[in-house]
Amino acid sequence: METKLKSQVLQQFQEATRSLVNPELQKWKDQGGRVLGCYCSYIPEEVITAAGCVPFRMRGTGSTSTELADACVSLINCSFIRHSLDLGLRGEYSFLDGCAWVNSCDHVRRIYDHWKRKIDTPFVHLLSLPKKVTEPQVEWYREEISLFKDRLGFHLGVFISDERLWKAIRLHNETRQLQRQLYELRKRKDPPITGAETLAVMVAGTAMPRQEYNELLRELLDDLSRAEGHTDYRARIMLIGGILDDPRYIDVIEDQGGLVVTDSLCFGSRTMWRDVDENASDPVTALARYYIADRPSCPRMFGDHLRRSAFVKDMIRDFNVDGVIAERLVMCDNWTGEQFMLGEDLKETGFPYIRLDREYLLTGVGQLRTRVQAFLEMMGR
Amino acid sequence: MVRQYKYEPHLFRRYKEERDYFSFLSGILAQDPDPISQLSREITDITVERYDQIMQYAEEGKPFIAGYFCAAPEIYEAMDLPWYMIMATPFLAASAPYLLGDIDGAEAMGLGTDWCTACRLSLYYIEAELTPKPWALIGLIHPCDAGNLLHQSVARNQKWRDVPIFATDPPYFEDQRSIDYFAGELRRMVAFLEEHTGHKLDLDRLREVCIESNKQYELWAEYAQLRRAVPCPHGWGIGGPQCFAAVQVFQTGKPRGTQWLRNLLANTEQRVKEGVGTIPNEKIRYFWFDLLPFGWVFEFLPWLEEEWGAVMVMEMFGFTPYTPIDIRNEDTIFKGLAKRNLYDSPMVRQARGPADYFAADIVRVVKDYNIDCVIWPGHMGHKDGSASTGIMREICNELGVPYIHIGLDLFDKRYTTPDECKDKVSKFFSAMGLG
Repeated sequence: METKLKSQVLQQFQEATRSLVNPELQKWKDQGGRVLGCYCSYIPEEVITAAGCVPFRMRGTGSTSTELADACVSLINCSFIRHSLDLGLRGEYSFLDGCAWVNSCDHVRRIYDHWKRKIDTPFVHLLSLPKKVTEPQVEWYREEISLFKDRLGFHLGVFISDERLWKAIRLHNETRQLQRQLYELRKRKDPPITGAETLAVMVAGTAMPRQEYNELLRELLDDLSRAEGHTDYRARIMLIGGILDDPRYIDVIEDQGGLVVTDSLCFGSRTMWRDVDENASDPVTALARYYIADRPSCPRMFGDHLRRSAFVKDMIRDFNVDGVIAERLVMCDNWTGEQFMLGEDLKETGFPYIRLDREYLLTGVGQLRTRVQAFLEMMGR
Repeated sequence: MVRQYKYEPHLFRRYKEERDYFSFLSGILAQDPDPISQLSREITDITVERYDQIMQYAEEGKPFIAGYFCAAPEIYEAMDLPWYMIMATPFLAASAPYLLGDIDGAEAMGLGTDWCTACRLSLYYIEAELTPKPWALIGLIHPCDAGNLLHQSVARNQKWRDVPIFATDPPYFEDQRSIDYFAGELRRMVAFLEEHTGHKLDLDRLREVCIESNKQYELWAEYAQLRRAVPCPHGWGIGGPQCFAAVQVFQTGKPRGTQWLRNLLANTEQRVKEGVGTIPNEKIRYFWFDLLPFGWVFEFLPWLEEEWGAVMVMEMFGFTPYTPIDIRNEDTIFKGLAKRNLYDSPMVRQARGPADYFAADIVRVVKDYNIDCVIWPGHMGHKDGSASTGIMREICNELGVPYIHIGLDLFDKRYTTPDECKDKVSKFFSAMGLG
């Protein structure tokens, strides 16, 4: 499936997913701009923007092997960390001026340890991210964000004032609002954009200067409002999972007739379904509350499964979803558990649901195609 | 609100079998006059007693809980709340004949096979109604992802939805702010337990428990020092795991546990004075940097001693800093408990935070214990450890000590069979000129 549009914006976004450094980011670098890597969507990107840097979500795009990383980690570690670390070890991330982590999972948190030891990035920082979502955790993360802000500011020689933070929050909220508008269009019976294309739009947002991205996204939304919608699909699919940054994976699903109309992904709706509260008393608390308590959570957050499950069920209703595909990277414990729990939840309602394992690089396309076909047939589509 | 507990005898079916298994083991050990067997018998005896106590409390409608060694068992003891671990079966009865069948049962539930076997089994036991249902559950959300998701899955499980659950949130680094925060989490845990069991925490009683527990840690530390002797006075059969069982699980803050440690120490001192090792001809002193392969321990570790003269001088349960708790006031007690549970508890100590923490332990153990090689078993569930294998190897290279990463399942011997492990280790020993 492919959307036909007047402008080239969509292609620009799509190209941004095919390499690490896209033209917009290169332009930023050429002008002396700084870029800070983020290994997880729980890193408060607003602080990075307020420091005058571009936050860049870490990927393994372009990697073809993991020889160097395999000397550091093992085969029971997920292929995302093996490919992204391998790129780092090969110097492909030398454009970064720093990199930030949270203790997202057992795999990613160890990349911090290897990176610190082996890769010469001027600034590295790990925020201790709580695993619960209640008030003491909001307070803890407020302090973590504050420490991160101070350390980054000191390193860059920038005073990250409240004013700068509020400005960054407004800018990122604007991104979220625009992205939600994009998702709103997908509720239509004839969505004007495919799931693969949407993922490209979302990934691009994590890899270019935010102001420019927002402008491009506005242009795209304008274009889409006049575009012809897709009606040639067999079923409307919700895609759920962790780190998926390759639109070609969704292409395979959509080529079988399963139009992905919404998601709960690390590069998808979970990052933008809510806004940071612009009326809060101070920006750091607002950020902490957003990341810990307000945004749809990741499975690593204990005590929040019911809310996550409700989020999925709301999506199913609002986007008129026919079936849910849950994908996970092999060896990911967080998503193993979440897939199991969500499967049980949906089983109770009799809703079509399938679990798929995958590797970070797009492999096993034939198998994926067969499983999606079977799933659609099982749904009577 | 205190939960209305309903005693359901059928949930204790497997529990009774396990109790009988340990009782049987105690009976066998009682017939062996060897002092090590007698020390082991005492551990199996106290294990049986805990099983009996839980069953008795259940029958009488008195509160008991499920909890963890790294969530302040001193508090459970002070609150008179007998506890058990929902993960106990894989750890305690892994040599029982039903283990492999249970693992298959877990697989049939649709639990991912790359998820830690101990976690899969625990969820299976709940679903299959093979584990007691507690008044309240203290969950574990560190040090690994698998444990976190296990407890989330337990919380949503249809059969356990009425069991209140609380988990202490672990900070990642070791500093005063983290201790203060975790102490707050422990206080919130106390409030949770008080609310759901009706038992109140008495500070004086907690102080008493901590005083006794401090003695236990001191004796454990002394014991750990004695294992530095060449030849090593004890091997894999007695040591860290039994100290852990006494100090952190079954006899926390109880004089009987303290006496057991004194007996252990006396035996060890005597052996060191007499120069008696665990085997007559110690050739290789290895550091086993993980839990023991509980599911098939008898098929592998004795072989290492017999075939290669290889002695497990230290392992993950045995090396902790044994932090004493300052018992001056409530604040110091809670902060001491926070520190002990975050920094000293086995697995949590090594796996929770950044690699620098376990790296320092490897250096310390290799240097202090005359270690000839480090074995990282690489349990399939320990993803963070396996993601650190390169760091472990580099540390060992710097120390000039050989390192091997096996890659196995501590509970399921079909993952990497004992024969495959023997083959790998034999090749490693030969290549490194050990033994």
